[in-house]
Amino acid sequence: MTRELTRHDDQIIAMLLGDAPASPALETWLRSAAGRRELAAYRRTLGTFTRIYGAIRAPRPRPTAYYCAISSPIGRVLVAATEAGLVRVSFRSSEASFVTELRERHAFDVIPSPAKTAGIVHQLRAYFDGERRRFDIQIDFRHVSAFQRRVLLAAARVPVGQVVSYGEIARRIGRPGGSRAVGQALGHNPVPIVIPCHRVIAAGGMLGGYTGGLEIKKKLLRIEGALAETG
Amino acid sequence: MVRSGLSLADLAERHRPELLAYLVRFLGDEHDAQDVCQETFLRAQRAFARLRPDSNSRAWLYRIATHNALSTLRRRSRMVARRVDVELDGLPARGATSGEQRLQLVAVTTAVSGLPPRQRAALMLRQFHGLAYAEIAAMLGGNEAAARANVYQAIKKLRALLGGPNP
Repeated sequence: MTRELTRHDDQIIAMLLGDAPASPALETWLRSAAGRRELAAYRRTLGTFTRIYGAIRAPRPRPTAYYCAISSPIGRVLVAATEAGLVRVSFRSSEASFVTELRERHAFDVIPSPAKTAGIVHQLRAYFDGERRRFDIQIDFRHVSAFQRRVLLAAARVPVGQVVSYGEIARRIGRPGGSRAVGQALGHNPVPIVIPCHRVIAAGGMLGGYTGGLEIKKKLLRIEGALAETG
Repeated sequence: MVRSGLSLADLAERHRPELLAYLVRFLGDEHDAQDVCQETFLRAQRAFARLRPDSNSRAWLYRIATHNALSTLRRRSRMVARRVDVELDGLPARGATSGEQRLQLVAVTTAVSGLPPRQRAALMLRQFHGLAYAEIAAMLGGNEAAARANVYQAIKKLRALLGGPNP
């Protein structure tokens, strides 16, 4: 009895899924009271299941950050961009930790894509070769606070070959005396090089700090001619 | 990487929505689905260079997603069993659901979440994502007959739980 039921069940399912047509023997059985009841039960089950699970819509995908690694005179540079623009530039050596930061801190889906980052990579290479003095790149500021954005935009206006002090940036954004907050905001610049926080230095000509390391800050200023080769 | 075909970013744009829908159906949890989907593309990246240009990249992505989902479930089963929470989000008109519909929803999602993971995956792949038994077999291991048996077993269990009294 059990075995026969199993056989009928499989045949009903095969028929309902369109895997196999009903055999004459099955058709005969489906005309019996038990057959009619089973067919109805399977139809109801599949119908309810398909209605409910078929109605599940794909959730909106997380925003995607496309990234790429390039080598440069200052070492490996990792860049990530969304559809809205450049979102991250990093000097860190670990690609895995770069991806993890984008995933876990910013909830991006992260996908490597030389094609989607080609524009920024092209400009960066030209910059390192000394052929480009300013960047023309949309920046995605979605994870940047309003204050930090003002600081970054002020730093972005410092031309290549020049440096200004933290205090000067603080004055330019209308926060005289706010040089410590400015330093903090620049220290967390998500897109170094492109927003040239390396051109902002401490009062009295001291270089101040740099998240990527002071050596990188010096190299960038040398590339730009703001610091003597021996500096 | 020079390939004549699509880049991984192209594949992600094209297939991510359906993979996400599959993972929500399979895992019953949108957050897990998002995580597994992300993991899928990270793994895909590592294997992408070895993907032959003429292979079925869609089935390949489903395969990676299924593997990742199965290991997520194994990790999860070592923790506390979690309630399924697809039900209300998945409904087209959830505001209008009657109490009776709600009960049915809970009954169906409970029955589905009680299926063994491989059967659940096979059922979703067959019923909603148009994958052939041979492709499902490649994802779950085993042969075509085993893939089909997974789907049929799942439906038989659902029928026992939802289809009314047994004869």
